[in-house]
Amino acid sequence: MGNKITIIGILVLVALFAGFVFAKSGSTDSAPITGNVVAGEIQKVVLSQADLNYKDSIVQAGKPIAISADGSVKGCLRAPSFNIGGKRYTKYLQSANDVLELPALEKGTYSFSCTMGMGRGKLIVE
Amino acid sequence: MSFKDFVKELNGNRVEGELVKTIFYSLLVSFIFLTVVYFFKLRYIENCIPKYGYYLLFSALSIALIMPAIRQVRAYREMACMSGMMIGMTIGMISGFLLGFFVASTNGMFIGGFFGVFVGIAIGVWNGKCCGVMGMMEGIMAGFMGGLMGAMTSFMLLNDNNLKLAGIISFVISAVIMFGLNYMIYKEMKETDRQRKEDYMFVVGLTFVLIAITTWLIVFGPRSAIFG
Repeated sequence: MGNKITIIGILVLVALFAGFVFAKSGSTDSAPITGNVVAGEIQKVVLSQADLNYKDSIVQAGKPIAISADGSVKGCLRAPSFNIGGKRYTKYLQSANDVLELPALEKGTYSFSCTMGMGRGKLIVE
Repeated sequence: MSFKDFVKELNGNRVEGELVKTIFYSLLVSFIFLTVVYFFKLRYIENCIPKYGYYLLFSALSIALIMPAIRQVRAYREMACMSGMMIGMTIGMISGFLLGFFVASTNGMFIGGFFGVFVGIAIGVWNGKCCGVMGMMEGIMAGFMGGLMGAMTSFMLLNDNNLKLAGIISFVISAVIMFGLNYMIYKEMKETDRQRKEDYMFVVGLTFVLIAITTWLIVFGPRSAIFG
């Protein structure tokens, strides 16, 4: 088998596999977020830092959430990152006015971390 | 010009003439494995290909990228200290970096980083020992650093929305480095006869082990909090 044929074989293999992956990826988006959005009833959560992690926060199910951070939150912990149902929510909360908005969530415990994965916390939805 | 000679040897009878075929067989094994696993398992997992397909594809390409250098080193068995150090360092670093990068993209810094470290050190030491303890030490150092650097790079790019592009750029740069290593080994060893003649079963076996572990980690492995 000459090198030209082998190279063509490699290109065909990669093209087939990549085509399959990209065709599948294009047809499906992230999983939809479940939960009932209640207009006008946004619950505010202010994150605080305890040692090198976030303090746990408790919110109600079925209401959208607005997250901000107080002065105790330092460094990369000011950029919390949530992965909810395969969709990522993150924002750099530089000042007290910056808000990360989350949709209404179902009951459960949602783990999150800063964008660098250094500090962790839990959002408990009751 | 030895580079022209090297390009000519890619079609020749020395081990360099088997490098392209090594990539082909490695890719073939990876893709057959992934196809079989897809039909028996992955297609029943919701959003598996959109979430992990890209990283599995590039993991297979990364494994295929490091195989030719391993085959070349095995063929010559023993080399000078300086060459061995370069071999241990390059193979350890690139294998650790790439696999650490793609696993950390789906599993987080800890799993990706230390998977990259273990693979990088194992492959770096194994290939670096062709020159003795210096090559082995280079393999350990490069695997340790490359694995963590790859994972850290991907993890810090998660929120830039350019992670996949960064993966392509890293892969292309790594491919250039590995091609350079193939050329360096040829240049150092062109006056030497091949010490070991072997078929492709070794490539098939090593590729199978690496892609199986990588696939398991990416799809079923533990994840850090950021991945839910």
